[in-house]
Amino acid sequence: MRLKHLILFPVLCFTVFSCKEEKPIEISSNDYHNAVDKLTQVMIHDIFSPPVASRIYAYPNIAAYETLNQNNASYRSLNGQLNDLTLNPPENADVPNLKLASIVAYLDVAKELVFSKDSITKYRDSLYKEWDDINSKEFNIAKSYGREISQQIIAWMNKDNYAETRTMPDYNIYTNDPSQWEPTPPAYMKGIEPHWNKIRPFVLDSAAQFKPKKHPKFSLEEGSAFYQELIDVYNVTNNIRAKGDNCEEIQIARFWDCNPFVSVNKGHFMFAEKKITPGAHWIGICKIACKDTNSDYQKTIFAYTKTSIAIADAFISCWDEKYRSNLIRPETLINKHIDTDWSPILQTPPFPEYTSGHSVVSGASSEALTDIFGDNFSFDDTTELPYGLPMRRFKSFRLAAQEAAVSRLYGSIHYKAAVEVGVEQGIGVGNLVNSKLEFLK
Amino acid sequence: MKKLNVAFLAIAFLFSCSNEQEKLNSSSYLFETVSPESSGIEFANIVTEDAEHNIISYIYYYNGGGVATGDVNNDGLSDLFFVSNMGNNKLYLNKGDLKFEDISDKANISGNASWQTGVTLVDINNDGFLDIYICAVSEYLDFKGHNELYINNGDNTFTEKAKDYGLDFKGYSTQSYFFDYDKDGDLDAYLVNHAVHTSLSHGKAELRHKREPLTGDVLLKNDNGQFIDVSEEANIYGGINGYGLSATIADFNNDGWDDIYVCNDFHEDDYYYINQKDGKFKEQLAKSFTTISRFSMGSDASDINGDGYQDLMTLDMLPRDEVVLKETEGDDSMFNMQVHLNNLGYKDQYSRNMLQMNNSGEFFQETAILNNVADTDWSWSPLFADYNNDGYQDLFVSNGILRRPNGLDFKKYISSAFKGRSEAEGLAWLYNSINEMASGKVTNEIFEGNSKTFKRQTGNWIKNQPNISNGAIYVDLDLDGDLDIVTNNYGETASLLENTTKNKNYIELDFIYKDSNIEGIGSKVIIYTNKKRQLKQLFKSRGFMSSFESKIHFGLGQTKTIDSLEIIWPNNEVQIIKNPEINQSLSVSFKPSNNVKDYDNSKQKSTIFKKKDLIEYTHTEDLYNDFAEEKLIPYKISMQGPAVAIGDIDNDGYEDLFLGNASDKVGTIFKNTGTRFIETKQTVLEQDAAFEDNDAVFFDADNDGDLDLYVASGVNERKDINYQHDRLYINNDGTYVKAQNQIPENTLVTSTVSASDYDQDGDIDLFIGILADANDFGKLTTSYILNNDGKGNFTIDNEFELTSKVTDAKWEDINDDGLSDLIVATEWDTPKIYLNSTGGLELISLSENYKGLWQSINTFDIDNDGDKDILLGNWGTNTKLSLNTDGPLKMYHNDFDENGKFETLLAYSKNGVYYPLNSKDEMAGQMNLVNKVYTDHKSYAGKPFDKIILPNFLNESTIYEAITFATSYLKNDNGEYKEVIQLPDAFQMAPVNTFSKINIGDKPQLIVAGNSYKVNTYHGSYTSLKGLLVNDITKFKSISTEGISPFDGQIKQLETIKMKDKNILIVVTNNDDIRTYTFQD
Repeated sequence: MRLKHLILFPVLCFTVFSCKEEKPIEISSNDYHNAVDKLTQVMIHDIFSPPVASRIYAYPNIAAYETLNQNNASYRSLNGQLNDLTLNPPENADVPNLKLASIVAYLDVAKELVFSKDSITKYRDSLYKEWDDINSKEFNIAKSYGREISQQIIAWMNKDNYAETRTMPDYNIYTNDPSQWEPTPPAYMKGIEPHWNKIRPFVLDSAAQFKPKKHPKFSLEEGSAFYQELIDVYNVTNNIRAKGDNCEEIQIARFWDCNPFVSVNKGHFMFAEKKITPGAHWIGICKIACKDTNSDYQKTIFAYTKTSIAIADAFISCWDEKYRSNLIRPETLINKHIDTDWSPILQTPPFPEYTSGHSVVSGASSEALTDIFGDNFSFDDTTELPYGLPMRRFKSFRLAAQEAAVSRLYGSIHYKAAVEVGVEQGIGVGNLVNSKLEFLK
Repeated sequence: MKKLNVAFLAIAFLFSCSNEQEKLNSSSYLFETVSPESSGIEFANIVTEDAEHNIISYIYYYNGGGVATGDVNNDGLSDLFFVSNMGNNKLYLNKGDLKFEDISDKANISGNASWQTGVTLVDINNDGFLDIYICAVSEYLDFKGHNELYINNGDNTFTEKAKDYGLDFKGYSTQSYFFDYDKDGDLDAYLVNHAVHTSLSHGKAELRHKREPLTGDVLLKNDNGQFIDVSEEANIYGGINGYGLSATIADFNNDGWDDIYVCNDFHEDDYYYINQKDGKFKEQLAKSFTTISRFSMGSDASDINGDGYQDLMTLDMLPRDEVVLKETEGDDSMFNMQVHLNNLGYKDQYSRNMLQMNNSGEFFQETAILNNVADTDWSWSPLFADYNNDGYQDLFVSNGILRRPNGLDFKKYISSAFKGRSEAEGLAWLYNSINEMASGKVTNEIFEGNSKTFKRQTGNWIKNQPNISNGAIYVDLDLDGDLDIVTNNYGETASLLENTTKNKNYIELDFIYKDSNIEGIGSKVIIYTNKKRQLKQLFKSRGFMSSFESKIHFGLGQTKTIDSLEIIWPNNEVQIIKNPEINQSLSVSFKPSNNVKDYDNSKQKSTIFKKKDLIEYTHTEDLYNDFAEEKLIPYKISMQGPAVAIGDIDNDGYEDLFLGNASDKVGTIFKNTGTRFIETKQTVLEQDAAFEDNDAVFFDADNDGDLDLYVASGVNERKDINYQHDRLYINNDGTYVKAQNQIPENTLVTSTVSASDYDQDGDIDLFIGILADANDFGKLTTSYILNNDGKGNFTIDNEFELTSKVTDAKWEDINDDGLSDLIVATEWDTPKIYLNSTGGLELISLSENYKGLWQSINTFDIDNDGDKDILLGNWGTNTKLSLNTDGPLKMYHNDFDENGKFETLLAYSKNGVYYPLNSKDEMAGQMNLVNKVYTDHKSYAGKPFDKIILPNFLNESTIYEAITFATSYLKNDNGEYKEVIQLPDAFQMAPVNTFSKINIGDKPQLIVAGNSYKVNTYHGSYTSLKGLLVNDITKFKSISTEGISPFDGQIKQLETIKMKDKNILIVVTNNDDIRTYTFQD
């Protein structure tokens, strides 16, 4: 019914009114990609930590997906599937342009999540003007519908404990425990998001659902498993540093750095290098997969939504373990016990070591993407081009995830266990998202 | 979102940076600017930047250059030399009448090094003509050259001969200091050098022991005209972590040998080298200083208070301007960094100027905030001199930086557009963005001194005009008896300020010494006038990168006669001149004598107190971190211990001692046998180790004739409420057992407990003082009185109510009517005095103006009029809460972001406008909303508090005020208590935690002590109250004069206990060992 209506409407406009005001508003996958890219840019400006960024990606995508799919022939609403999500779809939802409505909903939710709300609203208003000029009636119906959904998504979002966790205690750096995480050079920032495991997950039954096995027992005894991993980080770094900046390992480490805020202090002179987060990188891969497959609008939104849910739950799972084990970073131990002048290839991010966030997230998102686009999906990963890093080619999402994980070892910011166990943890999360959520009818 | 007033954001608030009473008529400044056209001094330190040479590639690119003065042609007029960082140096001959001739071209002193820094004019070869030594940065980037020595040919020309003297040092030099450290009659040299990068991981403090060529400071011994590096054998540090920006040479400890204080920038501690008189130095900063500047820049020494010891100032970069404060990175963000640096062995350092008052050469007391000289912004050169010739030292500070590289918006939102470029591309991109950094032009500052305190005279004595001045000197250029000021300006023409002081007397001295120190460098002069003395010591290099004449200038005010003038020559021989003529420049020639200065240091004075270790106990703070729990609170409530109680628990005639510890450490009862203290085993105290003990009292709870113990509990490390209630322990024949259900449960932070039978019903009752709720700093809490039923069961007295933040309380019969009255110290409130009569407790009404952060209370006849006054310990006026504020400090308590969790916000008043104390990032750390309303630092900086928080939220808040921070006393005026009178400055150095009574020779006295480590990094720590022994308001002295080590820690209280043949004084300090001293009464 709806499909028919959509097809008929443009015809109607042309033949009966033959007026340009009533021209249907064309919305393509690219319009959605652009909206996602806009959100990414604002997030870079505002400087969100990786877990917070993952939340910012998920909710707008879900809003768009739900706007589109309350009554879709191929896609199932997530209503009742995601934790605590109960939508009341508007009655009498005769919306000629659901695609447009989904972008309205996307931006409406996005603006609530960032600091620089004005950047999103300016972007939105320019689109609104454009659409209003083309077809005011169609636009207004879509806008009204999109906002009905987005307001419900926002209400649901606001109950995920995010606001409460903002005000909870900081990680206490006073410690007598030599295994406990300490802030790292050069900015010695506070531990990021010590209460992220209190955020309501989307699919997980609890933050601890994929609680990984313990890391090797902390010990600085030579010959202990932990010490071996520590000295491996030291040796691996020294070896690849000797090979020089152009070696494969350093290329890999930098490609997957995805640290949103790398601080540099030269005397009093302070500056920072900003990049996208690990989640954003996988959102970028999702975009590439959509484009490479010429995915239609519905599939594009489906892919973004599923991937971003997998990423968000991966962060909750990972952060749960990070502040359970509170493990000290290799940089701190190496500087203290092995080599005071040593520095890692990448800047150590400001939170405990175990497990590796990028590994968990890559594990989870690669499983989600594989489920959508199939295994052995080869692609050129150009996500980091705007940040001065070259393209890398991958034969599959899973191989990309494996490389992302091992990049943390090359970058000397993680021990081996955090990487290996982290990928497994992420695959667990990804598989759960794949098995538990029914997107397709 | 509702609460934060978005509507106001669009409005630009334009506040003038200062509301100085700027003189309209410029001719009324004490210092008149002499224009370059008039003076002929057109030198400007012009520095150009390019992609390879800039603030990014060299961290000290904006430090500027030095200026020096001296009479190079011996015509009686002081000439001027200016260093150009990267251009040609200039030498100007003084032609008189403030006219100068540029003889640089002919003089051949333009300099060959690529980057030049400091300069010293010194007669290195003792031929009667001043030579010029210029420091340089070489072997860095493409900087070529070495430090250069221009020997004066005697005909206004110079020849570079550094190599001939061994002074052709290659490295990163800042400035040279010539003095005779080994007293062999010739001038040696100390070179202050600086590291050129900040290592990301800092490296351990021990790195200072490993000498690093180019970077490390160097001590050069003059060996028959050849300068030999003796740094290693003289114990001079020279590590990679030395960011040396200046040194001050002075005989700090008055032993006749010259010492060195070195200012290090960034994380490296400053160095305080005491001359060991054997060619070696001993670094003992940690022993003599507790509070030092972080980014130490220029420095100077002078005897400011006329006590015969030279005091020290080190400069830093704390801005005064509210906008700049909030736009740039400050100490508030240093919490994690400081913990890290501490672990590496560095001392805590704070980014503000430090004015270190010298206490008999033994230790220094930091008093910059009290003197209003702590925040002069990006400051280079402090110069102490008597600018108005009134007989007191004044202070000039040169200021300014081309661009502020520590801007937070630049870091987060501007520079960061630098994305993943290659290193070279990235640096080039960054270089192109540096114009976006905020300008750091600020006015130079001048302060008038009166030997007790400093008063800001910027805008009166000098024009309040933003510029950039680095090196600076004072010198009487026009021979009119007052000191003119010259500054070397960055990117601008040098400034010449003519001093127009009139009708004041002065004397100026220069010296003709002997051997290879013809100028008499290191000579001291003390002048005695009308019961007053002034001391000065002659050194060439002072302040920042600059050098001075070999002259000493004293202002005399209206004094017409100098009783005598004592010159202590470098060989410590004394020469006295009686009644010298004033208002002249007097040249004094050395006359050998057998009169060697007796510095009096070897004589052992007999002291009242003698150190004797009688109690082995250590209080160890736990790991509870208030600032992680509530991010906006100004100080901790978890550091109240140790608990102390004294009482004769075994009725053997000797008082015993309970010491309570922080959580997870066991409290202990020590039995006093009369000859020693024995630790007793108390199982219940071991079982209750998890409690945090804040205070305690021995008293007979159950009327059985022995002493029971009440312990007041604080917040514990585990945050477990089961270990937060107060405890009553009943004495069962010497074994204590915990009473069950005999006292009401109280899990708040109890700060104090005090016992008395206040209702005279034959049993002992208790006052329980509550400081705070550990989960909610700003919440009001109620203290109470516990009535004893005679059997040790306690119930809350409903007649009594006190809702306030209580810190200390005592039952004392203040009006001698035989009834215990209750005196209570409170924070954010007035002290509470309850007079006890048969009708109950009656609160005396006190003015609201006496709201303070009262920390302690006691009674004592401080004004010596025969009745007991009430002593009130406050925060003192030497803390950041007193810095440049002009109204009550306000504290607001409300749920400002409507998330169910209450916040406590502080606001201070500047020029009548209230601003938030916290930075944007601190605020956002507790209230995420702040990041949405203020998307950059610029929009938050300088915004008044009531424009940040909506009025209805302010109005609905619980609002607290602190109006006075001065430690004071409430005067007993024939039984009336109305007037709170401020105690002298010596009492205001830091928070006063205790007025401990002590009888010495049957004379009641007080020991006043305190300090605070409870504060966050915005404050640092307050440790300048080194301990006072007080007879009365006019008679008090440092406890160090009577054998007690100066107090560096946070003193909780002091107690005295009688033993068989002596008394002991017990010093109880938070997070430190118990210290004991014996004394006789």
